[in-house]
Amino acid sequence: MGKRLARQDLAFLRSGRVIAGAILVGTVMICALFAPLLVPHDPQEQNLITTLVPPAWSAGGDPEFLLGTDSLGRDVLSRLLYGARVAMTVAILASLGAMLIGATLAHIAGYFGGKVDWVIGRAVDVWMSFPPVVLSLVLMTGLGAGISSVILAIVLVDWTRFCRVLRAEVLVTRRQDYVAAARLVGFGHWRTLTREILPATMPLLITLFSIEMGIAVIVEAILSFVGMSVGANQSAWGQMIADARQTIYESGWNLVLPMLAIFVTVLGFNLLGDGLRRSLDPRLMQAREL
Amino acid sequence: MTPSILSAEKLTVEARLADGRRLSVLSGIGFALEAGKVLGLVGESGAGKSMVGRAIAQLLPPGFGVTGGSLTFGNRDLVHMGADARRELLGREIAFIPQEPLSALNPVMTIGAQFGEHLARIGTRSKTRRQGEALALLEAVHLPRASELLNQYPHELSGGMCQRVLIAMAFASRPKLVIADEPTTALDATIQARIIALMGEMREAYGAALIFITHDLRLAAKFCDEILVLYAGRAVEKGKARELLSAPLHPYTRCLQLAAPSLSAPERDLFTLSGEMPGLARLADLPGCRFAPRCPNVGEICRTQEPRLTPVTAPLGDDPSRKAACFRTEMTPGIETRSHAASSRHERSSPLLLLVEGLEKRYRSRRGLFANTELAAVDGVSFTVAENEFVGVVGESGSGKSTLAKLVIGLETPSAGRIELGGRDAFDRSEAARRRRVEVAQMVFQDPQSALNPRRRAASIVTQVLEAAAPRLSASARQRRAEELLAEVGLPAELGARYPSQLSGGQKQRVNIARALCATPKLLIADEIVSGLDVSVQAQLIALLRRLRHELSFALLFISHDLAVVRKLCERVLVMRHGKIVDQGMTEVVFGAPQHPYTRELLAASSE
Repeated sequence: MGKRLARQDLAFLRSGRVIAGAILVGTVMICALFAPLLVPHDPQEQNLITTLVPPAWSAGGDPEFLLGTDSLGRDVLSRLLYGARVAMTVAILASLGAMLIGATLAHIAGYFGGKVDWVIGRAVDVWMSFPPVVLSLVLMTGLGAGISSVILAIVLVDWTRFCRVLRAEVLVTRRQDYVAAARLVGFGHWRTLTREILPATMPLLITLFSIEMGIAVIVEAILSFVGMSVGANQSAWGQMIADARQTIYESGWNLVLPMLAIFVTVLGFNLLGDGLRRSLDPRLMQAREL
Repeated sequence: MTPSILSAEKLTVEARLADGRRLSVLSGIGFALEAGKVLGLVGESGAGKSMVGRAIAQLLPPGFGVTGGSLTFGNRDLVHMGADARRELLGREIAFIPQEPLSALNPVMTIGAQFGEHLARIGTRSKTRRQGEALALLEAVHLPRASELLNQYPHELSGGMCQRVLIAMAFASRPKLVIADEPTTALDATIQARIIALMGEMREAYGAALIFITHDLRLAAKFCDEILVLYAGRAVEKGKARELLSAPLHPYTRCLQLAAPSLSAPERDLFTLSGEMPGLARLADLPGCRFAPRCPNVGEICRTQEPRLTPVTAPLGDDPSRKAACFRTEMTPGIETRSHAASSRHERSSPLLLLVEGLEKRYRSRRGLFANTELAAVDGVSFTVAENEFVGVVGESGSGKSTLAKLVIGLETPSAGRIELGGRDAFDRSEAARRRRVEVAQMVFQDPQSALNPRRRAASIVTQVLEAAAPRLSASARQRRAEELLAEVGLPAELGARYPSQLSGGQKQRVNIARALCATPKLLIADEIVSGLDVSVQAQLIALLRRLRHELSFALLFISHDLAVVRKLCERVLVMRHGKIVDQGMTEVVFGAPQHPYTRELLAASSE
């Protein structure tokens, strides 16, 4: 593969969206990966003497607690960093699961068509007729609280998004003559799907994956907000927002900071996904060499 | 002398690149069009002929602009006209007939609604009067059942009918000037002739001047009063239509004339121009005549100095307006092609390769709730192809010729009938049979845009067969085979590293052919592979297929609507209509002395 990676294959590195998105996502990822090394305090360490300390830059701030403390005196920065771990775990695993199920079914449906397509299409229709929030809450109740249940709930709710959008793209690609040509030069179904169709749907797949990661972050925040995600002994962004509601008038920062973390992460995923789609698609890079 | 309706003087259009460089797209174009006359702008794709029309409407693509010269309509300056004034002019005094009739009409509005909207815009206030006018105009373009038509949607009409509607709309405002940009390219040959006749009729009835933009020199010569031949953004020759065609003075015009296959002329080779028209970016670096790199008569002076369009005395006729941009016009008639001896003709005694018997393909179409009609796309077709034989299949669109190709290659399953390929039953659906068939029959697809995976490089496309047949082949061996194949179809090896979007139309089609040749098949099925291409590229591909036949020896089932190309390439021909073969035999016999009335009709439409 090495030598095939020519200069123009790396053209996506020149897109502003991709760079901005990658920096945001990368920062959050690093925070999540190295949280134990980065945190100034144990995120669960309570200190009831120093509760609701404002961030270091405002009046009464303490440089020891850079982003202040919450109502139980826990360090907000440390809790945010550990919250990133939960958010990233859910984002990656849940999106991966939803993508694998959705994309596989979409390719099978779009490529083979006919009865297979009908069955998968109806399954998606029925599945999508449940309101997603209700469906995930029902699932959570059935599965019980916990981070693996959150991941499973997101996978089970959101695979339809991949399936429906990708199926349309597979259908379009399937009708191209080059797919027929591949069959004529002796490609089997598996080879045709992986070598001819998958590369064509890949840009969309990457975009959807990236956007889905953003959605997963939000869903995780919602579920931890209502207390159905991680337990009280772990910190998650949604949980932090829920906790901060009590002291909203004393310390607005406690509410704003986790929201900001969610916002930045989702923005990063969306920018990255959009930028990659634009620059990975060779149909959009018209004859640059001519 | 009558005053001119539209005149252009030294019209220059430039494109600004992202890096600030300027490229001249059109330079020094000049013409004067008198009322009621037809001017033909002829050239291949990339010549800039459509830019002239776009400059008149000021619909140039972003980054393009008129940077010099003048365009005068009546006594008004079109270049420096304000947007409002131009909007008043367009559609009223200047009307357009587009290339793609189906996409030019709004698919969600009825013909009547669109016509009414247009009439309202050009000033017919009352609704009943609009209705009447629309009816009258639709009848003027010979559309049957005009009143019914007003309530129909564009998709219910054929391409030819849509084009008639658009012609009616163009002439509705009694314009002084009508610009028709390749109005018949998307249509069948039989309809083409009628549309051209109709445009002539309407032009005479309404007294409008017409600019006819086309790539087809012969068609232009038939229809136009005066012709301007464009090459790479320059006018290379100008003159009265008939004289220009009968005695071209610029080598490019001469080459175009010799590259187009003919139905009636004695059998001779097509002239193959080497190379392709230089792209925009390369034009800037050409110092001399832009045609010099491809010109068979090129001399020292051509490479350094740029010739101007200057008056030339034609050898025959006395056309004072005759001009050519060439230093060596006296040598142009010397460009000739070999007349054909029947040397490369095929002998009928070769063994049988393809046998088709009673082949049928029916589709069920549902009309209304209960009426289930069956439509036979291919209806009881039987024929044979011998080894190394080139067989043409001709017919209008909808005659079932493409379905036939798909049936033979196995992309569609027939409803009934028998196909034998190389002595074996082709209906064996097993994987092993499918593999075997790869080596017997291959297909070259019609639209190279869709037939080449945009994410593969050319080298990977042409050796796709190896991916399935020999997956363990080393990368270098595969690269070698790719280079061999590219050389076979006349492409330089370095093109192998390019993506399809970086290739020209002719190059794409060569890659398309090379892929089919990789498995060295005995039968090649080609579906309209030269129809979308420029005349000179088409001639190159015909020459290529003839050469490859000698070198590799394969049979060809060549599907085309272009009878002249089929005559050039194939020794036997099948004429299809409504899914049936109505006429077949040796090409010379079928076309030379047509027996079936439908063959005669086809021939009449495409010759003259």
